[in-house]
Amino acid sequence: MSKGKEKEQVLVRYGIAKREREQFLANMISPDGKPEALDGIVVLDASYANFSGIIVASLFAEFGAEVIKIEPPEGDPSRKITPYGVNVNGVGIPFLAEARNKRYLTLDIRTEDGRRDFGKLAAKADALIETFPAGQMDSWGIGYRQLSQTNPGLIYIAITPYGQYTDRAKEFRNLPDSDITSQAASGVAANIGDPDTSPEPYSWPLKAGAWLGWYISGLEAALGGAIALMYKGATGEGQMIDVASADAYASLVGYPVIIGYSWEKARPRIGRHDFTLYPYGFWKSKDGIVAIAAPRDHDFRALLKILKLWKIEDDWRFTFDRIPDILEQIEELYGLIEAATVKYTSDELIKMSLEYSLKAARSKWRGGGVPIIMKVQKPSDAMKNPHWNIRKAFQEFDDKTLGKFTIPANFVKMSDSPPRVKWISCDIGKDNDYIRKKYLAD
Amino acid sequence: MKDYFSFTKELFDPSKTKEKPEVFKGIRVLDFSHVIFGPIAARLLAQYGAEVIKIELPFYGDLWRFGVYWGKFWKHSSVCFHFVQYNKHFLSVDLRSPKGKELIYKLAENADVVVENFAAGTAEAWGVGYSQLSKINPKIIYLSCATYGQYGPLRFFPGWDLLAQAASGAISLTGYPGTDKYYKLPDYIGDYLPGNVGALSLVMALYHRRKTGKGQYIDLAQSEALMRILPNFTYFSITNEELERVGNTDPTMAPSGIFKSHDGNFVALAAATEEQFKALSSAMGRKELAAKYKDGFERLKPENAKELYKIAQEWVSQKDSAEIVNLAKEHGFPVAEVMDDFQIANDEWRRERGSVVVFNDDMYREFVLPGPSAMLSKTPGRTKWLSRPLGYHNRYVLKRLFGLSEEEIKKLEKERVIGYWDDRPGIKPPVYYDMEKDPVFNYQGDGESKAHE
Repeated sequence: MSKGKEKEQVLVRYGIAKREREQFLANMISPDGKPEALDGIVVLDASYANFSGIIVASLFAEFGAEVIKIEPPEGDPSRKITPYGVNVNGVGIPFLAEARNKRYLTLDIRTEDGRRDFGKLAAKADALIETFPAGQMDSWGIGYRQLSQTNPGLIYIAITPYGQYTDRAKEFRNLPDSDITSQAASGVAANIGDPDTSPEPYSWPLKAGAWLGWYISGLEAALGGAIALMYKGATGEGQMIDVASADAYASLVGYPVIIGYSWEKARPRIGRHDFTLYPYGFWKSKDGIVAIAAPRDHDFRALLKILKLWKIEDDWRFTFDRIPDILEQIEELYGLIEAATVKYTSDELIKMSLEYSLKAARSKWRGGGVPIIMKVQKPSDAMKNPHWNIRKAFQEFDDKTLGKFTIPANFVKMSDSPPRVKWISCDIGKDNDYIRKKYLAD
Repeated sequence: MKDYFSFTKELFDPSKTKEKPEVFKGIRVLDFSHVIFGPIAARLLAQYGAEVIKIELPFYGDLWRFGVYWGKFWKHSSVCFHFVQYNKHFLSVDLRSPKGKELIYKLAENADVVVENFAAGTAEAWGVGYSQLSKINPKIIYLSCATYGQYGPLRFFPGWDLLAQAASGAISLTGYPGTDKYYKLPDYIGDYLPGNVGALSLVMALYHRRKTGKGQYIDLAQSEALMRILPNFTYFSITNEELERVGNTDPTMAPSGIFKSHDGNFVALAAATEEQFKALSSAMGRKELAAKYKDGFERLKPENAKELYKIAQEWVSQKDSAEIVNLAKEHGFPVAEVMDDFQIANDEWRRERGSVVVFNDDMYREFVLPGPSAMLSKTPGRTKWLSRPLGYHNRYVLKRLFGLSEEEIKKLEKERVIGYWDDRPGIKPPVYYDMEKDPVFNYQGDGESKAHE
């Protein structure tokens, strides 16, 4: 699409050109030179063999906190949690991708000396992250109970599978955390997979291909930590934050709980279909796969029009015809749509839907519907999309020891205090001198 | 010293939540957003005490009021909508009308946060964008949520969670290798997770404003928030290979998988570290494995991971799930049974913890919903009321904030500037509920109402 034409579409759709706004938005894409929200905040990351802790630390570091990763001399075992063992100089890919703006201190808190220094650091810290068995830090004399005596402003974040209180937490305290077990316990796996009429193992609960357990636990702990920082800003008081990874997914999306309660049974697995919206999924095109969302009545009709399927409109006209509660029925509709989508390439389908949406928006009667079609992309395709390049969604590094690599960064654009990645570093004990001088000299 | 678990039990006691302070008390949020992505960001602030005023079109309302699973409404409402919208004030104003806009501008004068998730540029075109509202109130923090963000060639593409999953690559990661079947991440995680990122950026902006007094504009693209959680890009940039789908195993841990136990339950099991692998090996009575695979990277190589997967699968298939859980507790390796919706909703442990809450609502009575994801000992999140019919808080908001009289409100109703539900489920009250007697809906303007405290 040429630039002139694109501008014209903007004019058509919104009536007015917003040059000023475009300029403002273009300027805010880059975080360079802007202040940092958490400038001056000190965070200790004592997480061990647990990526959710590492993720909390990363998020704080991206918003500007001084994050000190505390590891035993042999390093955090998280360094070795990596797909197929692929690593760069002994550092796994996920660890590398999360090694954002961090300082590294070797400190063995299993020893008494280590714990003494740890206590001194915690006295000067604003927040602390740990993932040891519930009560372990407390028994070492460096738990929330003890540290909050010397530093009442400390925000103490603990992440474990079953939390810090209740009998279950006590009983399961020595059970380590992992992403796959968090997915299983919090309702992800039970809701992905094919119907029970399918052959095994396709009918089994299926793990999501992304680290949903660990990333959700990490994100929620960071959100809790940020809320606690607001409270600390107002009152000077810290507090303890407890995240249970067995809750992660169910608490975030709510569905397992609210449907388990109101329907009084568990949802069956329904494969590629959605249980609320239809059509809402992916279909084959001539040259790949496209995702199609056209769930509202007028969206659905628009989809039928552009796919030249209007002749079936009468059979499927009501939302109730398309509720995917009868799988055979929805498979039939799926097949009818696929028979049409395979006639076009993905790009043709996208173009057809866009042209239709623009026409509908231009018409006086705006009920024309917006059938949305998008190519299903692999991560490597997404990396090549110029849109993300313009938005600086990926950041490339060329490091002396770590070589060339790319990470997803700048995940939210903020006009005044955006998050950013200033450096990536992974060496164990790299900042020992700096930290000892700055925080442990006395 | 007291036992640790007695100490924490007291520290986090869910029955004390009501007595504890709310962080965002006094923070006012204007919520123009709809469906999930924007609303969940505003709701997270409401969960911690913010006064969120949700603005909906009269007689239409939020699309997600009709977002029900398999067409099932609950007491003429959507449970999915309740979860995304609790603790909010439901104001139904037609912001296309000049009078409606005037009301919105008046609200913006004293608002701290604005959230919207229309297609990029729409809020500006309607006169409620950042450029307009920041002129009325320069300290405002304004969050715009869109699938592709506010800037860039794709910005006018509309989207849903599904499209963000497709554009970010997240959709292509789940499923079995060598098949042409993909599975999207379930339950609109492409809305919920980015929405939580939105809440995080709002809290960071509020924190920044505390220090500097400055408001700001936030451009959140849900695809970018999803990309942030994928190590696949970094993997590709280093190996020049795509991380392919792996079915029910995690290629970063060996062994790992979801297996079927002898008694027919599904059990997730993993060994993420050398220590955990040692523990698992000894639980399986296969200590020689720990000796064979001392190095973690070596253990993860595809041929070794495959061998260990088979061993673990075989072992789990010979044991009952309870036995495996006990061995995991004793030896220390990650194990969890696969929990379905019903089990999660009825789990004793979660109810005791407060991560599943039995809530008694004035209008909808008993409802069970998730508690906060993170438990905060001093300022816990909480549910105060569920979602309400369209326009339920019209009087409450307009009388309390602007001191409008009953006559003025009646006039606005007549002019269709403000409005209410019609007879469709999703936007109307439950049949058994008598609206005439509702003190909030019929708010008299007698100072501070107790109904919402």
